Amino acid sequence: MILDLHNHSIKSDDGRAKVENYCQWIRKRGLPIDGFVLTEHRQFDAESDYRGLEDRTGLLILKGSEVETDYGHVLVFGVNSDMLAAFDFGRVDLSLERVLREVSRCGGVAVPCHPGRPRVGMCAHVEQRGAVEGVEIVETLNGGSRGRENQVAASLAERMGYRGVGGSDAHIVSHIGRCATRFEREIASIEDLVGALRAGGYEAVQWE
Amino acid sequence: MGITAEELKSRYGGMVFDSVQVEATLESMLEFARACGETDPRYTDAGHPDLQAPVNFAAKYHGARMLPDDFPEFDRRMMIDAGKAVEWIAPIRPGDELTANSHLHDIYEKTGRSGSMLFLVHRMEFSNARGELTSRVDWRLIIRGGLA
Amino acid sequence: MTSRSYQEVEFGEDLPEVEVDVSLSNVTRFCHATGMLAGRFMNHEEAREEGLPQAIVPGIMSQGLLVSLVHRWAPGCGIRKIDTVFRAPVLVDSAPRCCGVVTDKDDDSRTVELDLTIVNEQGETRVLGTATVVL
Repeated sequence: MILDLHNHSIKSDDGRAKVENYCQWIRKRGLPIDGFVLTEHRQFDAESDYRGLEDRTGLLILKGSEVETDYGHVLVFGVNSDMLAAFDFGRVDLSLERVLREVSRCGGVAVPCHPGRPRVGMCAHVEQRGAVEGVEIVETLNGGSRGRENQVAASLAERMGYRGVGGSDAHIVSHIGRCATRFEREIASIEDLVGALRAGGYEAVQWE
Repeated sequence: MGITAEELKSRYGGMVFDSVQVEATLESMLEFARACGETDPRYTDAGHPDLQAPVNFAAKYHGARMLPDDFPEFDRRMMIDAGKAVEWIAPIRPGDELTANSHLHDIYEKTGRSGSMLFLVHRMEFSNARGELTSRVDWRLIIRGGLA
Repeated sequence: MTSRSYQEVEFGEDLPEVEVDVSLSNVTRFCHATGMLAGRFMNHEEAREEGLPQAIVPGIMSQGLLVSLVHRWAPGCGIRKIDTVFRAPVLVDSAPRCCGVVTDKDDDSRTVELDLTIVNEQGETRVLGTATVVL
């Protein structure tokens, strides 16, 4: 089971892709992914219902979020009402330590993304202020990375013993499916995804 | 920040704070197009019956002022260019005298590590001498640290 | 009159890639045409003094390069909107490629949506955007 864990639609202020077009693109290009997660910036899109689109395309479409912390951006999976009440997704000065704690307490998983990127990634902050307790998974392959950003992320993961996932960080249609995560187990829901991320048995994958 | 984005929006949102006249010269539009590798003769052939300025030609213009005169002070070095959208509405022809009116189309803020991040959408609307709207240019700006 | 009809364009179709001229002389030509005469566009040394690796291509020129890509693909088409985000500088005297692909079709308005990117020699996306085009 291969899922692209990091994508933005027009619901994000810098996203330019409609979800239908992501699906159409994946099928048209025959991309080897079984589904994707929409991780809109600083929000959780509770309203959109993609079940009809899933039925038509045979793709799994899940929803998460990308929040902003003092250690850079963080993907959040398993968002629920408790979590939305626990901290303000709209802020850009959240504490990573608190996000990790609250997401875990509410039954989700938090994953620092593009950690090798200056300012908005975790690595530079770790060098300056030390590691944060509670990180278990980081995004080691990000489709929007430049230069050595993905290598820096992978080095951090290896050094700290973090597990790695992959996501495209697509903001336009044709950027979906550049990076993804291959899971050993089948995933059919956000609960399955959270369980799989916690359990291990996955790897970040990338295609040219 | 002493003033909120909501207050800024109610004070400045939609208010035209700058209006300039510019002339779209034949030479500048041809050079713009050719430097960009344009091959469509509507943009490169001075003798073409439908000769017009490149689609994003209006984006080259700046107003006399970038923000309203009484807009709160901030450190201009903290401003990030977050992108530009150009809407083509009607052709700009050589020699057209254009009026460019600027207003702030949207203003919102996010609280950040170093204070606030203020998001501005600066819109310039271009009209020709016949009063026809030709182009709309949206410039998205982020002010890191917000206003002083 | 466009050389491509709406019907013949397919979702997912690639626009032919174009290697664009961002030599110092051509960028300088653009700067003179637009009055964008900042040193960071036309002089490598002045750009370095501003902390840049070398001179950079003005964002408006990058957008113009993408406009030209669309016209090469469909001469005579009408670009109704182009929206670009400058993710990272395009360096003067580098060899970037402009790329595009059809990502949506609207039968009512007979418009197509395009993804547009400028990619450097390392394959990194420096500029990305979208365009709405009438065929």
